[in-house]
Amino acid sequence: MKITKQDLKNISLLSKIKIDEETSDSLVEDLESILKMVNKMDELDTSKINPLTHPIENTQTLREDIEKKDIEREKLQELSEEKESGFYLTPKVIE
Amino acid sequence: MTEITSLSLTDQILGLTDKSFSSKEITESYLKEIKKKKSLNCFISIFEEESKENALLADENIAKNKARPLEGIPVAHKDIFCIKDKKTTCGSKMLSNFISPYSSEVFSKLDNAGAITLGKTNMDEFAMGSSNETSFYGNVLNPINEKLSPGGSSGGSAAAVRANLCSFATATDTGGSIRQPAAFCGVTGIKPTYGRVSRWGMIAFASSLDQAGIIAKNAKDAAIALKYISGFDQKDSTSLNEEVKDFQKEVDANQEHVIGIPKDLIEKIKNDQVRDSFKNAISILEKDGAKIEEINLPHIEYSLPAYYVIAPAECSANLARYDGIRFGHRSKNVSSLEDLYVNSRTEGFGREVKNRIFIGTFCLSAGYYDAFYNKALKIRNLIKNDFDEAFKKVSSIAMPTCSNSSFELGSISDPVEMYEQDIYTIPANLAGLPAISIPSGTANEMPVGLQLIGNYLDEGRILNLANKFQKLTDFHEFK
Repeated sequence: MKITKQDLKNISLLSKIKIDEETSDSLVEDLESILKMVNKMDELDTSKINPLTHPIENTQTLREDIEKKDIEREKLQELSEEKESGFYLTPKVIE
Repeated sequence: MTEITSLSLTDQILGLTDKSFSSKEITESYLKEIKKKKSLNCFISIFEEESKENALLADENIAKNKARPLEGIPVAHKDIFCIKDKKTTCGSKMLSNFISPYSSEVFSKLDNAGAITLGKTNMDEFAMGSSNETSFYGNVLNPINEKLSPGGSSGGSAAAVRANLCSFATATDTGGSIRQPAAFCGVTGIKPTYGRVSRWGMIAFASSLDQAGIIAKNAKDAAIALKYISGFDQKDSTSLNEEVKDFQKEVDANQEHVIGIPKDLIEKIKNDQVRDSFKNAISILEKDGAKIEEINLPHIEYSLPAYYVIAPAECSANLARYDGIRFGHRSKNVSSLEDLYVNSRTEGFGREVKNRIFIGTFCLSAGYYDAFYNKALKIRNLIKNDFDEAFKKVSSIAMPTCSNSSFELGSISDPVEMYEQDIYTIPANLAGLPAISIPSGTANEMPVGLQLIGNYLDEGRILNLANKFQKLTDFHEFK
């Protein structure tokens, strides 16, 4: 499978990671070699098989609806480099 | 006299209980060793003062006969486990400034059992790697031969145990990250059943595959340590609400074993020494009374391709949280919100992590979802069914941990060649089964591992079998 320039652009856009010109050739090489290995899956006919998203069948367990004190907002916000009055700051998004 | 740092966990607990030595002595001895062997680069953080203080408290508890099960035992945690108010980097630049506001369940359980935390061990970035070379903090060296890789991603934990820098260490395994480094460093590593140990506070890579476990000097030690990190946790929705058996008792119980050998797979092993050591290990167990059965795992060769779709897909979703806003690396070079996302992520992640995000993003994108992701999930089902069938007639399955022993640092640059390191370890993750790696011989003068895979929730049985093997052999002894 070939990775095109357009594929790279899409992947970069979706993953929000820049792909610079200098490394794009070696990246394409890496990705194509990984996809070549992955394509071995095509040898198997899986049309009648169900997908398995999780190894163990487990239903969601519910707990009593009792208020619990978890981590406080201030403590979590300390981790951000830019915040003000309980809000996270980002560059302006509305003109 | 044997140094206290090289005693097994079992003997350390005995020694502390009968006051042959104190927690202060043992903790300070480990801290001294850690300093002496700093060049191995096993640790990202060391809590020197705090562990000394905690050792004194442990000694007080022991003196007052109030000792908890692991009172005063010095341990190391892989730097993927959050510890409240401590830096948790996950081997990444992205989290180089991350001070966790809460503690992982694995840490809390060991802390409550009285263990002393010496520090946090080095690892491949976000647990993505099989050689420890993707760590932002530089790779760990293999203590047996410093030119060689300790394996990955839990290379710091495995090397720290091997170099006698802690009594045992915690680790995680998504595709082999406990078992492969354990094999490369000649130590014992167990990945329990998926859901056995809480993932709360363990930084996510691929959530349906990630599982915490233990790297220790031997199976008995691993059984004791595993007992104290296992159990249901309401905070992890995938945690299993199942009784945790007393692994410590099970490891020494009189159990009968029927070991399944996937013959086709064994015949295909290219490395003669790996194949011979495997066959030798099986004949040792057979002579001891274990029954050997040939089994068939027809889809196992599709584990690697299926894994390299599923794991990157889940990784690309999990790592979407690193946006530069709430925590983690925030780029300074920013003029718009889009810049903040893109530049923070581009600067914060290393090459291998980016590769996996790219592959995952690609496989999940419109037009490719069915061909890759859905297909991989179907193959995952086939692999699980293969194991279910096999476990109808055997009690455990044996295969090598890796197809080779450790390799030179910097010698593998092709990503697929690196991924092939996990060819024998990945199937247990896809099926969610428990698996242990124990030293079983050497290839190129470096240790190789015997892998024993158990049925769901049957950690006790593979620990028992591993312990049996270690009573009959000395491959696990550090020489």
